[in-house]
Amino acid sequence: MADSHTFDAKGHNPDTDGSLPPEGSELEAHLQSKHMVINMGPSHPATHGTVRLKVELDGETIVKIDPEIGFLHRGFQKSCENVTWTQCLPYTDRLNYLSAMMNNFGFLNAVEKLIGLEIPERAQYIRVIGSELHRLTDHLTCVGATGLEMGGFAPFLYGMEARELIQDRVTELTGARLTTSFGRVGGINRDLPEGWADKVHKTLTRTEELLVEMDGLLTRNRIFVDRTKNTGVISAEDAIDYGWTGPALRACGIDHDLRKAHPYWVYERFNFSVAVGEHGDNYDRYLVRMEEMRQSISIIRQALETIPAGPIIVDDWRIALPPKPEVYGTIEGVMAHFKLVMEGIQVPPGECYDATEASNGELGWYLVSDGRGRPYKVHVRAPGFPVLAAVPHIIEGKMLADLIPTFDTINMIGGEVEQ
Amino acid sequence: MKRVLTVLFATGFIVATLAGVSAAAYVVAGLAEKHLFPGASRLSNIIFLMLVFVMIIATLLTLAERKWSALMQDRVGPNRARIDLPGLRNRSLAGIPHILTDVLKMLTKEDFIPGTANRFLFKLGPILAFAPVFALFAVVPAGPSVTVFGHRVDMVVATPDFGVLYLLAIASLAVYGTALAGWSSNNKFALLGGVRASSQMISYEVALGLSLIGLFMAFSSLQLPAIVGELGLAGAQASGQAQYLWRTEGAFDFGVPAWGFLLQPIGFIGFFAASFAETKRAPFDVPEGESEIIGYFVEYSGMKFGMFMISEFVEVVVLAGVTTALFFGGHHLPFGGEWLASQPLMQEHGWLYGTLLGTVFWVKVVFLIWVQLVIRWTFPRFRYDQIQTLGWKILLPLALVNVFVSGALVLWDPSLRALAVVGMLEIGVLVVLTMTKKAEAAEGGAHGAHGAHGHDHGHDAHGLPSHASATSSH
Repeated sequence: MADSHTFDAKGHNPDTDGSLPPEGSELEAHLQSKHMVINMGPSHPATHGTVRLKVELDGETIVKIDPEIGFLHRGFQKSCENVTWTQCLPYTDRLNYLSAMMNNFGFLNAVEKLIGLEIPERAQYIRVIGSELHRLTDHLTCVGATGLEMGGFAPFLYGMEARELIQDRVTELTGARLTTSFGRVGGINRDLPEGWADKVHKTLTRTEELLVEMDGLLTRNRIFVDRTKNTGVISAEDAIDYGWTGPALRACGIDHDLRKAHPYWVYERFNFSVAVGEHGDNYDRYLVRMEEMRQSISIIRQALETIPAGPIIVDDWRIALPPKPEVYGTIEGVMAHFKLVMEGIQVPPGECYDATEASNGELGWYLVSDGRGRPYKVHVRAPGFPVLAAVPHIIEGKMLADLIPTFDTINMIGGEVEQ
Repeated sequence: MKRVLTVLFATGFIVATLAGVSAAAYVVAGLAEKHLFPGASRLSNIIFLMLVFVMIIATLLTLAERKWSALMQDRVGPNRARIDLPGLRNRSLAGIPHILTDVLKMLTKEDFIPGTANRFLFKLGPILAFAPVFALFAVVPAGPSVTVFGHRVDMVVATPDFGVLYLLAIASLAVYGTALAGWSSNNKFALLGGVRASSQMISYEVALGLSLIGLFMAFSSLQLPAIVGELGLAGAQASGQAQYLWRTEGAFDFGVPAWGFLLQPIGFIGFFAASFAETKRAPFDVPEGESEIIGYFVEYSGMKFGMFMISEFVEVVVLAGVTTALFFGGHHLPFGGEWLASQPLMQEHGWLYGTLLGTVFWVKVVFLIWVQLVIRWTFPRFRYDQIQTLGWKILLPLALVNVFVSGALVLWDPSLRALAVVGMLEIGVLVVLTMTKKAEAAEGGAHGAHGAHGHDHGHDAHGLPSHASATSSH
């Protein structure tokens, strides 16, 4: 017995080599320990969207984690090369499906930059309102899901109630709940519905009430604070090195918000502040998102009060569809309509990079046009991608239970990461 | 308004039902004593206390939990399942059909056993999880001992001398079910759940036992009926929690009763937190942790899963029952108990007296169940090392200090008054600490990300603030 034991211990065993203590007496039991690899996802309650996390565990400590993406890959870039610039719009809905309007407007803004087009003021206001509404839905989902996955169901449902109300307003504005496909190159395709502003004000008031509820349930909750504070920490330098942007970067103490740094549309007219954290942990990311929601509500209210009257799309028939009476009544109208629908907007050859501040960070668009009416190349710099890439750096050596709030607060969205 | 009325009606209905079943329990026990052999009432108590009361409350709890969580979360709650009969077709019947459909679903689902599982242990898991918690209620007295049809009837199944030790011993057995279920299903997630359950058990079990020592010293007994106590009738000295610390003179007795939570607030909070961990419900649901590791029962389906689920609810009822008996005076009224017992009507009809006090006991139990539901749906989940920190670094030292302080106070003043004064001071400190924290929050809440970092980790000093706030604010 003793002989076989010693032999086992001496023999080459890839599972135990290096982890065994030096040869001891027979009485010392050599417990073989080996790492356990578990699959979190692609179908797992904590993986938003569909992502697979290959986690190597030592007990409950994460030794190695390997995020594997590709389960939601749809060929976004290639699809865009085969359609006109306007027809790309529905594809952009599916990037970050929680805040589709931001993708719509970001893409349109980049195309307009490539053309060198200034859109009407009212359209810029509507874009701000739409973006901030969808920033709210995105953050509500993120914060709610953080609560949910840590075992608190109530904050999630409060968040969902507010989100549903906002989705109703979005539906009234765009005609769709999630896949809005709103806006067109050169402006907006439909104006604010009548009486919509009042409804939005009411919705925002209710959202504020629900935010107070969520705040009360989470922010000072001993267990929530223990679970999120000092977990998922990333330093500001590392965050920048990984290419983080948005709330996750601001939680590290970097005051960088494109709405302030490079104001676009009419953002510089509004009075709002940028929430900045300090420690770069889950708790700060949560707080930053909560504060951003309050700021978004304030921006929407200001925009609704100061929105000017006027056209909502440029009056240029090479870019925007002519009004229907012109199409039906004049030959020029018919021709412009036909050319736009069949050939698309003739974007001049060139390339550009343009970025807007989406809910999870810098949503960048690198567009190349060869002047044929179709994109030559559409590349999206999705804010979720660098954030997901940093997960191994953040979480290795930490506990499995810490992975959940970390994965929640960075708010990786499968649709935009995998395009 | 309609909702308020419904809730009021439901409350009244529940109390009336409890009274009805209590009466039935006493009458049947009396009949059993009369017509069967002596001691037959204990057998009828098994049926009434453990099968009727505990099982039915646990079953209804599945619905109550959904309804209550819906109320807390601004939802309607279960109302979809309907009975397709004339007159019932368009009624949700308060969601009761959901219980039936749940049972049907669980009984008819495929009972799947993974190919690589250890079949014997896999089947043993749910039984081991269910049986111990079910057996726990045997030593909990659910009503006074009264004379029915000329025979003495105790509303308890067994009164061993080692009462509370039996509770602790059997309660810790339940973890075997969880650990075995996790291990035998040969699933990595389930294994993690089982290991987490064991680690959780280790961390709170010591605190669970220690938090009760002060109570044992105060009442000089381990027996639950002795801790609940007897009223001081006809000049006899009242015992246990039936005695008064301070009381007014006169026929109608009124005063401060010697209830456990007044004498031992730290012990109560420690016991409640530790036994809450025993139920494996949020915030202590790390073995399940459905968003992390799905749970130790991930491979179970059908009624085997149902056993795990119902055992959780049974544990909730049993925990409420034990806590009532140990800390909330059992079946005793807070005042007027001796006056009620000395009424001629009550002395003549023992079953009526038993029914009234039995209802008092079950109303307290239902209240404590409600407290547990509120906690369950308010707090997120702990991390398992945080539970160990809570158990070893907070509850255990607190319970140890509590043992010495209580022991000294009981020796110094056997009338327990000194202990009660210190206990009430402790409650006051807890309330003040909870309140001051709220005031801070109101100030700090207006700030953004910067402002909220004033929160320090030192608040742990007074035990479990979150629980203190949840329990003391009701």
